Amino acid sequence: MTTVRLRFTKTGEAAYISLLDLQRVMQRAFKRSGLPVWYTQGFNPHIYMTFAAPLALGQESVAESLDFKSEADDFDWSAGPALLAPCLPRGVEPLSMAPARTDPGEIAFARYELRAAGPAAVSALQAFKAYNEAPAALVTKQGKRGKVKELDLKQYAPVLDYKNRGDGALAVSLVLPAGGQLTVSPSLLVGWLCAHAPLQAHQVQILRTELLTGKMEKFR
Amino acid sequence: MHESLKAALAAVQKPGRYTGGEPGCVYKDKSALSLRFAFCFPDTYEVGMSFLGMKILYEILNDRPDIWCERCFMPWVDMKSEMEKRGIPLYALESKDALRDFDVIGFTLQYELSYTNILAMLDLAGVPLRCGERAEDAPIVVAGGPCACNAEPLADFIDLFMLGEGEVQLPQVCDAIIEGRKKGLSRAEILRGCAQIEGVYVPSLYTVQYEDDGRVRSIDAHGGAPAVVRKAIIRDLNSQPLPRNFVVPMIGAVHDRAQIEVLRGCVRGCRFCQAGFLYRPMRERDADMLSRAGKTLCDNTGYDEISLTSLSTSDHSQLETLLDDMLEWTPAQHVSMTLPSLRVDNFSQSLVEKTTRVRKGGLTFAPEAGTQRLRDVINKNVTWEEIERTCNLAFSAGYTSVKLYFMMGLPTETMEDIEGIADTAQRVVDLYYQNPNHAKGKGVQVSISVACFVPKPHTPFQFVAQDDMQLLREKQQHLLRCVKSRKISVSYHDSRTSFLEGVFAKGDRRLGRVLLEAYRRGCFFDGWEEHFHFDTWMQTFADLGVDPAFYVNRPLALDETTPWEHMDYGVTKAYLVREYQKALAGKTTPPCNRVCAGCGANQLLGGGPCFDYSASAVHQNG
Repeated sequence: MTTVRLRFTKTGEAAYISLLDLQRVMQRAFKRSGLPVWYTQGFNPHIYMTFAAPLALGQESVAESLDFKSEADDFDWSAGPALLAPCLPRGVEPLSMAPARTDPGEIAFARYELRAAGPAAVSALQAFKAYNEAPAALVTKQGKRGKVKELDLKQYAPVLDYKNRGDGALAVSLVLPAGGQLTVSPSLLVGWLCAHAPLQAHQVQILRTELLTGKMEKFR
Repeated sequence: MHESLKAALAAVQKPGRYTGGEPGCVYKDKSALSLRFAFCFPDTYEVGMSFLGMKILYEILNDRPDIWCERCFMPWVDMKSEMEKRGIPLYALESKDALRDFDVIGFTLQYELSYTNILAMLDLAGVPLRCGERAEDAPIVVAGGPCACNAEPLADFIDLFMLGEGEVQLPQVCDAIIEGRKKGLSRAEILRGCAQIEGVYVPSLYTVQYEDDGRVRSIDAHGGAPAVVRKAIIRDLNSQPLPRNFVVPMIGAVHDRAQIEVLRGCVRGCRFCQAGFLYRPMRERDADMLSRAGKTLCDNTGYDEISLTSLSTSDHSQLETLLDDMLEWTPAQHVSMTLPSLRVDNFSQSLVEKTTRVRKGGLTFAPEAGTQRLRDVINKNVTWEEIERTCNLAFSAGYTSVKLYFMMGLPTETMEDIEGIADTAQRVVDLYYQNPNHAKGKGVQVSISVACFVPKPHTPFQFVAQDDMQLLREKQQHLLRCVKSRKISVSYHDSRTSFLEGVFAKGDRRLGRVLLEAYRRGCFFDGWEEHFHFDTWMQTFADLGVDPAFYVNRPLALDETTPWEHMDYGVTKAYLVREYQKALAGKTTPPCNRVCAGCGANQLLGGGPCFDYSASAVHQNG
């Protein structure tokens, strides 16, 4: 039995598919694709899948990952994305399929790109500057059991190194914890930015670009 | 995606309802189209995406290279207010283009209490609500579905109704509109042309006059429209292919599975059942065609559950063959089968085995009435012996929960019949414990769900007055007092909802003002308990001087001109009267594939017999 990893995107409209719904979408897509996936052997057989570091609703990503199992030892998985692609909704695009190398438990960080375009870029600039000048960026985070705790975003992202993109958009790339121990959602940062400039949350696109291990190596 | 739409999506629950992009969506090049059709379901996404009719017509229209059919649903209250606040007009999910730029806006009429949602959707789309206020180039607003059988309360708002089955008729209407627009005809001319198509009803071409006491005096057609509109029908269901693909919702729809329609219509003739009269005669598809279509659909959608749908699936003459055919491919494809609408009188041992092979769910039966006397009145030809036999079969096969559906407020009903409901449920509980083979160590759960009877047009009970709300409430309380066991749970409908359903089911055009005013006062999503403002409705009726009880709490004379007198579903009025009189006498009518009852619907198929009466079409017990 091999654990195979699918890397895929979740962009545009697909950003609004929740994790629960995505599981259903993937079940059906794999079934349609005809890929040799392993089904659970119970009374209600289904494809056993594990999603690594699920994404919040509304955020986009080009670095999603899901693991499934297969008993087909000699299957050429590099052909998988082409088989799966026509079965997926718009915005969910398979990038690669290969036997998993890293344990999902090793994911500790994720890289994100925050981006504001058009008139919002001006407000975003103001917000980024405010962040960089602030001695601390305190936000409250809702913990797992409803516990509310305060944390300083500067611990994780001391400076926002924003850059102008050719199309007049302003973007910043940053790494935040995204593991079993601690996850800091980029929406917390966007929330802080919106509270410190005339900026609205929907004007800032959040795109996850990479999943990283504790050693800052690429999760594969 | 537009900036303001993104902002709205960020502010609402379940944004996936409003984004589209599901597998199976059809996208087209706008430059190559002759007609854009917005298929609107006047309820939430989850309800609308369960609806098989939309999937059938979506595929038929989109198979045409010159037509693009897209979907649109009623936004939930949070999204509706976000859209109003941000000036986002109602849009179709595929292209995100505003509905007001479409050629045709089509509504499906499934439920009387979704009428205000139609007004809300037109309003959100920026389309004038009344037909007469629409500009020449505004979309033509059409509607079809079961409630079109008495479309009168919506006559002010819908340009054109389609009666009957849409598979052939809807493309014909689209062609007439394409043709008319090409020729530069006016709206009125296009509508007059459409009125020549089978089953098309253009309300503006009919004048209704009333007696002083409010009853309809006459309905007159003009402009070349037919005096009586006869529903459209597919004569041979085998000639009509099943959908090969569905748009597969990503957020869970109410019915989220593959569906194949095994037959249309129903042979049973239950006298309260509107669908049973609207879809006559019963026509079925061949087992072989169904199994192949089911496999194609599962292959194309990835669904792992398939439902054999119809009004009464166990009446299919080749059901056992069909199940055997399907069992040849379903287990290997990890697909489970579900059979809704089974009847207790032909639920057999092998049927139990075939459906429980994959998964064991609950069991649902609809005796509809608590005593044999009343079951005979409504022609629900089910006996206690059959219920007993079926429950025993099911309990031996491991079932532990039974759902029983009943109605209250049926014609000739007494408190004794209400007690019979509780009694029936108790006897099912007793059966479970008397059955030596019941699931070990498990108790039984019997749920009874009691709806309030709503008299519907085109049924033998259209003449009946609905029980008033007070009496229905008393009956509900009496039922609760009669249920003694904790193994039995009771749920019942709000009698106020049923009252309003009855008013709009049997209403006439004069209710259009009431609909409009109630909508303006904030009524929409009336079918959702939390948004049902009954007092607002009653106040609106009072302020406009319209008495709702006139429509529903008054018996109709057998020779009275009904508001739906000019709508012909194949069943003659003489037959409805005959059935009504038999009901009052407690006499039953056998299923029409066993003995023809002479309802008149055979004329829709050309006039010969509907069934081959030399072959035994009805299943025998066991």
